[in-house]
Amino acid sequence: MTTYRDVVLEHFRHPRNRRTLPAADVSIEGANPLCGDRVRVDLRIVGGQIAEIGFTADACILCVAAASLLTEHVHGMSIAEAGALADDVALQLVGGTVPAPRRKCATLPVDTVRRGIARFIESAR
Amino acid sequence: MAPKLTAATLDALPQLLHGEPTVAMATLVAASGSSSKKVGAKMWVGASGRILGGVTIGGCVDARVIEAADDVVKSGKRTLVGISLDDDEAWEIGLTCGGQVEVLVEPLTPDGDADPILSAYGDVCESMARDDAAVVATTLDGTGARLVVNPSGEVVSGTLGDPALDEAARTIARSVVASGGSRTETIVTPVGDRRVYFERHAPPTTLVIVGAGQVAMSLSRFARDLEMRSVIVDGRPRYATSDRFPDADEIHVGMPSEIVARLDPGRNVAVVLVSHDYKYELPVLRATLRSPVGYLGMLGSRKRGAAVRQMLADEGFTAEELARVHTPIGLPIGAATPAEIAVSILGEVIATRSGKSTGT
Repeated sequence: MTTYRDVVLEHFRHPRNRRTLPAADVSIEGANPLCGDRVRVDLRIVGGQIAEIGFTADACILCVAAASLLTEHVHGMSIAEAGALADDVALQLVGGTVPAPRRKCATLPVDTVRRGIARFIESAR
Repeated sequence: MAPKLTAATLDALPQLLHGEPTVAMATLVAASGSSSKKVGAKMWVGASGRILGGVTIGGCVDARVIEAADDVVKSGKRTLVGISLDDDEAWEIGLTCGGQVEVLVEPLTPDGDADPILSAYGDVCESMARDDAAVVATTLDGTGARLVVNPSGEVVSGTLGDPALDEAARTIARSVVASGGSRTETIVTPVGDRRVYFERHAPPTTLVIVGAGQVAMSLSRFARDLEMRSVIVDGRPRYATSDRFPDADEIHVGMPSEIVARLDPGRNVAVVLVSHDYKYELPVLRATLRSPVGYLGMLGSRKRGAAVRQMLADEGFTAEELARVHTPIGLPIGAATPAEIAVSILGEVIATRSGKSTGT
């Protein structure tokens, strides 16, 4: 049986979409300033959909795994849908109950994606 | 300890000497029977009587050099002063035993347009601004002409007045850059032996400190005394502050791996990972292992270091690349407090810079 820990470790050791996108429409950094987790999300948006996504992270295991899982989840998604993702989605993606003090680690990537999409929509107006 | 001509002094030299019509620059160019580490020490004596620096830690040698400098200021002619020391005198001035020291005393005109010595040092400053070392060669028995050579042995400027002498000096200059110290060499030429002083100048070491904790605070403080630049890097804005790091030359808050990559660490840079947190260690190591960085060290136990190395090996980094990481960081001096750990780290940075094996 695959456990929460297994999923997180697997995505930390073999993160999906850990890369920068040279032709990104949005490149945005998110941070948890007290613990120091930092994530950068690059998005390439075509026709209102996330055509490509990449991330880099100087962050803890949980945060890196959450970013990896999220990038797989939102690839191809419309920006309207991705921009409205709730924190709970990120918590579900890591596959288990995240202790309260670590919730911000898991939700930093989704928060960064939401802000990235908001910036893209704002700049497109 | 007698001062050497540091990058900071070199930069400030024209300002320091401004207003003096003539200045004598005294350089300890050779020390036989004693520590050659003193070679390169400088003292400037102005026509007004002002003294800057010292070729020794004081005492009778400096007194004799000041007398010679006063004569040079008056005559405008360079001179090589040889001073014999007995053992007692040697101890007094910080040398290990008696012997002979030689001090080259030369006139320079700080406010003149084309002083050859200041012009050569101007070229050295330009090299160091490009993060390059440079060697200034001058004959001890000549007119004061300078040859400035880069680490590849190419001429930056000047000449010693003889193509064959220049050619031999270029070869020696390359080894002087690698050796880490200034020295005098004898060059055999068809018209006789010529003694040439090679003065080595290298850019200051920059200490890039990742992780703005207690050890980092001590590192930054001590780095200033060691004439190293310190650059603080952290992702936590409440840690990486000028209040906590008043001696830092730069403070950067953001993604440490991006910041370090942007700093483009070269051979005069030491990257010191003291965050004690893999969240920064792994990305920063990924960003630096294949760079020409001069020193790379990571705080942590041998076991932890091995685990981090293994993870990076799994990602494709070679054993040779991973062997560049000094971990546990620092010399094994039994350091326990943040300040002691900082001393051990800086000791290792200096040892690595000097080409000494540290065993880690």
